[in-house]
Amino acid sequence: MVQEVFNPNPVIVKPAKSADRRHLTSLWLDHEDEAPNDADDVVEPIDQDEIYELVRWIHDPEYPNTLEELKVVSAPQISVSRNHIVVEFTPTVPHCGMSTIIGLSIRVRLLRSLPHRFKVDIIVKPGSHQSEEAVNKQLNDKERVAAALENPALVKTIDTCLEGQSALV
Amino acid sequence: MESTERLVRTWMASGRDEEVVMTASEVSDGRTSLLNVVKALGEYLTAEEDSLRTKGVEFLSLVLDRSPPEKLNRQSVRVLATFYCTKLEDTETIIPALKGLLSLSRLINCTSEDVPAITRALFVHVKMKVLVQSVRLVVYSIIDNFMARHRDALKQMNKEFLAGYVALADGEKDPRNLLVAFAIARVILVEFDISAFVEDLFNITFCYFPITFRPPPNDPYGISADDLKRNLRRCLSATPAFGPMAIPVFLEKLIAGSPMTKRDTLQSMTECFPVYGAGLARSSAREIWNALKLEIFQPTDTITADMALNCTQSLVKTIYLADSRAEDGSETDSEGLAQDACEECIMILREPEKSQARPAIKVLCAFMSTTPSVAHYTISKTAPHLVALFITLEDTASRLSDLLLLSDLIAAARDSVSNLQQSDVIEPPLLPYKDDILGIVIVGLQTNSLRRPALACLLGMVSTKYLLTDEELGFVVHKTNEVLQGDTDENDDESDILKLLTTITTISPHHVVDQTLPLLFNDLPDQAPSRAAVTDRIKYRRILSALSILCQQPELFEVFMIRLTTRVELLCSATDIEADSEPRAAYAHAILRSIAQTLSSKVDEKHVDVPKYIDRLVPRLYKLFIYSALTSDGGYVIATDPRLILVAGDIISLVAQCLTVERYQTFMVALFSAFISGNVASICEGQLKLPADIVFHPFQDSALTSLKNLILLFAAAIIAAPKEVSIPVSSLDGFLSDILKWSLMTADNDIQREAAWKILTSILNKHTADASGFLSQQLEIFESNRLSDTALTVPQRQQGVAAWVYICKALLVQSHPSALDFADRLFGVFGDESIGWDAAKAIGQIVEPGDVLSKRNRSVIKILHVQKFVSKILPRIIAGANDTSKPNEQISNLVALASLIKSISKPLYSQQMPILIPFLLRGLDLPDESVHVNVIDTFIAAAEGDTPEQSLVAEHVPSLISKMLKNSGIQDTPSTRVRIAAARYLAILPQIVRYDILHPYKSQVVKELAKVLDDPKRAVRKEAVNARTNWIKCGG
Repeated sequence: MVQEVFNPNPVIVKPAKSADRRHLTSLWLDHEDEAPNDADDVVEPIDQDEIYELVRWIHDPEYPNTLEELKVVSAPQISVSRNHIVVEFTPTVPHCGMSTIIGLSIRVRLLRSLPHRFKVDIIVKPGSHQSEEAVNKQLNDKERVAAALENPALVKTIDTCLEGQSALV
Repeated sequence: MESTERLVRTWMASGRDEEVVMTASEVSDGRTSLLNVVKALGEYLTAEEDSLRTKGVEFLSLVLDRSPPEKLNRQSVRVLATFYCTKLEDTETIIPALKGLLSLSRLINCTSEDVPAITRALFVHVKMKVLVQSVRLVVYSIIDNFMARHRDALKQMNKEFLAGYVALADGEKDPRNLLVAFAIARVILVEFDISAFVEDLFNITFCYFPITFRPPPNDPYGISADDLKRNLRRCLSATPAFGPMAIPVFLEKLIAGSPMTKRDTLQSMTECFPVYGAGLARSSAREIWNALKLEIFQPTDTITADMALNCTQSLVKTIYLADSRAEDGSETDSEGLAQDACEECIMILREPEKSQARPAIKVLCAFMSTTPSVAHYTISKTAPHLVALFITLEDTASRLSDLLLLSDLIAAARDSVSNLQQSDVIEPPLLPYKDDILGIVIVGLQTNSLRRPALACLLGMVSTKYLLTDEELGFVVHKTNEVLQGDTDENDDESDILKLLTTITTISPHHVVDQTLPLLFNDLPDQAPSRAAVTDRIKYRRILSALSILCQQPELFEVFMIRLTTRVELLCSATDIEADSEPRAAYAHAILRSIAQTLSSKVDEKHVDVPKYIDRLVPRLYKLFIYSALTSDGGYVIATDPRLILVAGDIISLVAQCLTVERYQTFMVALFSAFISGNVASICEGQLKLPADIVFHPFQDSALTSLKNLILLFAAAIIAAPKEVSIPVSSLDGFLSDILKWSLMTADNDIQREAAWKILTSILNKHTADASGFLSQQLEIFESNRLSDTALTVPQRQQGVAAWVYICKALLVQSHPSALDFADRLFGVFGDESIGWDAAKAIGQIVEPGDVLSKRNRSVIKILHVQKFVSKILPRIIAGANDTSKPNEQISNLVALASLIKSISKPLYSQQMPILIPFLLRGLDLPDESVHVNVIDTFIAAAEGDTPEQSLVAEHVPSLISKMLKNSGIQDTPSTRVRIAAARYLAILPQIVRYDILHPYKSQVVKELAKVLDDPKRAVRKEAVNARTNWIKCGG
């Protein structure tokens, strides 16, 4: 499908373990049967780790690797305030032509998985891409995103990435 | 003769089977002969009319097929063979004639003299292209029979046979025939002189490669593509003569093919290389390697890549094994492919952090398991390269990748030796490089970010036999200890470290005993850290869990047990009264837990040293807890904390599970003497001095709660007893009644009650016959006295229900005939306003597998007991849920249904599912969150294995969706558990119901789930994300 591979030999990192949310501070050892549902009234706000958990498993369109393995996304590149989320990602090479698709995948994933009250900004890490502004514009302009998502071929590609497969290999 | 003629005439008119059977039986009785049959058929066999001739020959073949072989002598076989061969010329009789020949070909009296004539006739007259599949199969079967019985006769015909067969088999397409044809071809290729026919044979076999056949759904013949592939592969790999022609075909298919074709090609090549021989492999090595390289470095998927690696191994083995054999196993050079490929991979490894490095190391690892010379060459190039690289590289990320690659190589080097079936000591291939490797690995070990791969390297090295000396192992333990001890606040690698040390304990435990254990015990604080000292608490927990993982080997466990028990005793008997003694209790609890954990793994592994702790550990625990309970004056003594008693009980049960019957019996006597008669000395041992003036009577009404809690330790020791151990009481019925009464009247809290019921259920299960008096009495009075007696308080009656569950369970798990009668008492109170629902939920609890009645506790358990019970009780509950005359009971039955189904596996109710679904949906309207959870969990379990084509729930989709949405939203459902379950079920629906049914609800569900995405609970949000994604995706 794609003729040009933009980076034939990218750097791979091993995925870190999932964030451990167990509370080790209690006086008595937790019993395993203690279900997470106690204290129904405790509110757990959406945080950086939760967003990261949503995007780390997205697959790159070109390689059989996840965005996490390619270091395209990482937890510290995500910031969450009350109703505003900024996700920054790093293309593997500055001329990567897949950046928009990666960004759109992240956009779609978050559109589907976050409450509507959040405003989400998705940006390329400053200085990591040669057409940084164009990509950012495409990813954060409502009309442009909507237009892109009306292209069935594009949506299919994005869906494959979200399902954990590389779309274009 | 007359009857034969009559039969022939009748058959000609009727065509029925009976005449054939009768004729055949006459032949076998000797009343007539096949010759007579031929005579009787005479006119038909030569009739002018086509259909008559066909029928005539057909009748003969049918009779021949059913006649006993011994009735055909040599002479008649020859006559019949000649006869049939002439009938092959006639297009009207060829089909029955072939069938006749097939019958003949199976006979002993059909000798090799007949074979050439028949075969020739086949080749001359049979035109395969005009025959249907079943007839062609007959032809193949005749040849197959000859191949099996008269192979030499066929070999003598060599040229003529081969030419004829090639023409015959050319163009065959049906998989059923091909299976036989491939089998014939394999024999020809292996045994016949095929020199003149190589190309022809190549054409009639390789034209089928690769097999793309896919059996139709519900294929009645049961031929799979794999059968064909396997049989064809046996042909392709039958002769070296195919080699030069085959390789280009393989390579072409490999490059152009689909993933399935690629896999088939790779597997075929793997099998063919050794047959085709070293010469060919060597001359085409470059070409093949280039093709394989593509599959390894740019893989379509991992399975194909692995197959390509296998194929490479096969290629390398083919090339170099021949060499080493020729030169008597001496060191041979690995010039050619191995060297080139090795160098290529090592070039790639110069950038260890890049993605191509991974396949490169896989190739090198694969080389390790080929031939000794290649393995030697590979490791002599790769190991020094990786070591040198580590030293020159500066960037940590690259170093990390370098070590990871090295760990793969070490593991491959280890496995290459362990796969060999030689008993003598082989020098590990890594031996010459171990010092260098150990050097850089230790450097890695001391660097935080390089620790994980360094540990993987070490693990590979210590698990290689004969690689490291005892001293070096000690060194590794020493270095690892430093890391373990170092600043390890956020040490993710601890589990890897422990894995390494545990592996070392299985080889040489003394290093860990001498070096690691003292270190860990030293770090364990003497006094409990205060409530606020969170870091200290986390630290001791870490040490304890490390010890628990490390100390499973008997030698280590002994040290571990002694040190920790003493520590607990000291903590419990500490006299200085600090303001807050709870942290101390928690610390002691954590220590006991780690003992219990270690013991549990030891019991799983069936370690033989467990039983001895009945004398060494158990008496000390009893002493400690009895002492504390007796000396406490109502104030808080930590060993009276129920949480500690619970863990101590677990430890006692674990040891008891491993006791022999004899040892258990003496233990049981001592136990009863202590708990019933107050003779505590029989089970206690240790430094503490029990007060002489207070008597130990935990069952007395007036006993303090702390004393009564010790019933837990009584129960813990009883439940694991095998049924051969007798209960040392004068009357078992009386004892059980007392325990039951005590639990309902005297016990202070749920812990005590449950302990009593555990005793009850365990003894009832193992001594059912001896307790018949107790059982029949309770069956009579329990309901009226304990359940429906309104003079009792509601909690008391609820406790009655709970006790009854334990009694029922004891009988149910052994499929006791009266189990149903006992369960029946629960139905009796379904209509009751206060405990009806408790009784209903109890129905499910009865069949739930518990931890008391288990294999480990040596309970009497029959298989399929749940099935038997459910098949009786389910119809009754359904009837009750349908019965509108008693609304109270009807609802209780709904509750019972939800609780029962939740506890059993799907096959037990899937047949009934269409009837059950409406009830379950009604259950979602009941105001009880546990019912909701049960119902939704049941729907989730029932969805397992459902497909959109035949979904159980399709017709209930509208109500299911609206109820699940309601249950997943926080505004209607305060319970997190219910919301999680409901969202999870919504995620499953698109997978089990056809989209056209779901379509009308899609937009509503997607919209509603958007609200759930904002749930205050993380776990709910996670399920909602899944559900919403699935719904957005479905339909397209």
